[in-house]
Amino acid sequence: MGNRRRGHTHAPKTPPLSLDTHSSDHEQDVKHRICMVSDFFYPNMGGVESHIYQLSQCLIEKGHKVVIATHAYGDRRGIRYLTNGLKVYYLPLQVMYNQSTATTCFHSLPLLRCVFVRERITIVHAHSSFSAMAHDALFHAKTMGLNTVFTDHSLFGFADLSSVLTNKLLTVSLCDTNHIVCVSYTSKENTVLRATLDPEIVSVIPNAVDPTDFTPDPSRRDNSKITIVVISRLVYRKGIDLLSGIIPELCGKHPDLCFLIGGEGPKRIVLEEVREKYQLHDRVRLLGALDHKDVRDVLVQGHVFLNTSLTEAFCMAIVEGASCGLHVVSTRVGGIPEVLPDELVTLCEPSVQSLCDGLETVIARIRTGNVASPATIHRKVRTLYTWRNVAERTEKVYNRVCREPVLPLSDRLHRLRSHCGAVAGSIFSFVAVITFLFLLFLQWLRPDHLIDVAVDSSGPHSRLGQHVSKKTSKTPNPAVS
Amino acid sequence: MMGADSGPGAPAVPWRKVLYERQPFPDNYVDCRFLEELRRNIRVRQYRYWAVVRETGLIAQQVSCVAVFLTLWSYMEQGDLEPSLVLWVCLGCALLGYGLYEILGGACVRERTRLADLQSATIFLAFTFGFSPVLKTLTESVSTDTVYAMSAVMLLAHLVSFPYAQPSPPGSLSLNAALFGSVCLASRLPGALHTFTMLSCALLVFALWPCLLHRMRDKAEWSFPWAAVLVCLAGVGGLGSLWPEGALLLSLALLTLTLLCPLLLVLLQRHKDNIHGPWDEAEIREDLSRFLN
Repeated sequence: MGNRRRGHTHAPKTPPLSLDTHSSDHEQDVKHRICMVSDFFYPNMGGVESHIYQLSQCLIEKGHKVVIATHAYGDRRGIRYLTNGLKVYYLPLQVMYNQSTATTCFHSLPLLRCVFVRERITIVHAHSSFSAMAHDALFHAKTMGLNTVFTDHSLFGFADLSSVLTNKLLTVSLCDTNHIVCVSYTSKENTVLRATLDPEIVSVIPNAVDPTDFTPDPSRRDNSKITIVVISRLVYRKGIDLLSGIIPELCGKHPDLCFLIGGEGPKRIVLEEVREKYQLHDRVRLLGALDHKDVRDVLVQGHVFLNTSLTEAFCMAIVEGASCGLHVVSTRVGGIPEVLPDELVTLCEPSVQSLCDGLETVIARIRTGNVASPATIHRKVRTLYTWRNVAERTEKVYNRVCREPVLPLSDRLHRLRSHCGAVAGSIFSFVAVITFLFLLFLQWLRPDHLIDVAVDSSGPHSRLGQHVSKKTSKTPNPAVS
Repeated sequence: MMGADSGPGAPAVPWRKVLYERQPFPDNYVDCRFLEELRRNIRVRQYRYWAVVRETGLIAQQVSCVAVFLTLWSYMEQGDLEPSLVLWVCLGCALLGYGLYEILGGACVRERTRLADLQSATIFLAFTFGFSPVLKTLTESVSTDTVYAMSAVMLLAHLVSFPYAQPSPPGSLSLNAALFGSVCLASRLPGALHTFTMLSCALLVFALWPCLLHRMRDKAEWSFPWAAVLVCLAGVGGLGSLWPEGALLLSLALLTLTLLCPLLLVLLQRHKDNIHGPWDEAEIREDLSRFLN
């Protein structure tokens, strides 16, 4: 509560620990050993999954050691290696709901401790507030005295009971996390309010898109008609109901318009009904679930990319669409207005009428030929969001975090109680004490020095692939030679 | 590389809330415009005490309906009431209510014909009459305590799941719970005709009365509070003739429900602190059903 009010009157000031002012030469040499933790990782596909993968790859390229911990997906359990020696631990934890594990605050400690000790982790980086494993990892990392970073990928409301409860849990979970990363300014405001945080410890680092994966190819377009592409999961939050109103409205007015819809979900039936009722089988194609590698092939067939989301923290889809040279029409919700400059996107209110108006202006512009070519659009988008830039900015967060002290148990308990309210604070202080005792027990049962240190497959002491280590040994100190 | 080369002084360009531009600020920069789009309590309805009291009448009369029904059952179980007499009274009430329903409905278009109404009534009565011996012996092998406990739970479920918020004929869950409770109770009565009478009463009280009350609220608003008060008095009075202490408890509960709870709601209103902002999920305000139907 106190923080909410403080947020209002916050005057701009230079933070004492700004992310850039302290960076010195010697600090750029510091190599971290990072453990990314999230329930969501390959073989699951989505925004969080690709974010973790791409960020890890770029951090490895910069010479850091990165391992990923996630839960087992079916047969995929144990340790796997991905490109460039990215080591993934698929831990045998029980999945509860929507690929998220159950949280008891205790049962994952032995396994996660084992990973952290084996890999001599210095920073734990958890992803996604929907992932119970991420919250567990933040809690255990603090118990073990490690520094933590958390990346929030989604927006949450405040109005209903379920969000009140999840927000309380987030408050507890983030109360002693060193630094939080959000993907847009709107997402930062949201997270600061939800977890009553000091906005100084929240950084905004947007997502990125690999521009080489999303290149335009105008020859694949059928220029005798105008194609509108929609690629999203077909669920309520993505505004599929709005789409079901737009399709008949526009198809009636423009006989040369067709829709190409990629994605799967419970709202597919609504689109099928609309297609049935208005007899649009030749003009509305439902492609079903798409593999990530096929997305580009679908995108390049279109002239306009339409996004009807009702809430979105960043929206990678519109960047992918624009990167393929499409004109983007999107709803003005969440962080979307921050993502693309006005000349690349047409923003509309989340209503059928407004979206139809926006689409019609774009269609009229395409008919008159008064539009930028796909190559021009691609060139503008290409440099906006790159994973290297994300990794550089994340590295600064790590550099800042690793200088911070880790609170001893007594301070941590005090902080929990003063920050999270009397009831929740006391409950979680109790849990923190129990976890601490559990950790002592584990340390007695199997002392840290008896746990084997794993062979590094990435980072400065990597034993894998000569070319990787060559590259990493070159980049940090070019000034010396 | 945001702000890597910026000096300690304030940058010349103002900060913008965009991600596509590299700005000379650190990533954790907090501008004075931070949270400027935050809105508080934008869609809060201010309640007035007497308006809320009036609305709670619906809950109070539903609780009383259950009390009336239980009183009737109790009298019939003790044999103090002749089932034929109750049946005649029920028939009278049903006809009276039907007439009132038609008069109040007046202007609006009828979806069903009178013949269809008569048909459904006949079918229901015939089936209930035919099956009442079966229903009478349905729970014979179950102990009486279990039957009572079951009907108590079912009637509670009826009260909890009754659709108070969107005024409509009773929802399927609440109606089914009430009828199941009634079947349980009716099976403990002395004869088959008793069972039939009890089920007809249940239908009258739990299915038809809410429909009539709904229409009264719609068309003749002034009559609704009077009807609610009348039902409450009937509930308390009926229970009082059987068990005076119970009637006292019921009237206390009804008073709490209608006078104390609204007071609490109105007093707690000013502690409401609801925050809205660009992160909220957008609402679809248009009627999209026209595209499908």
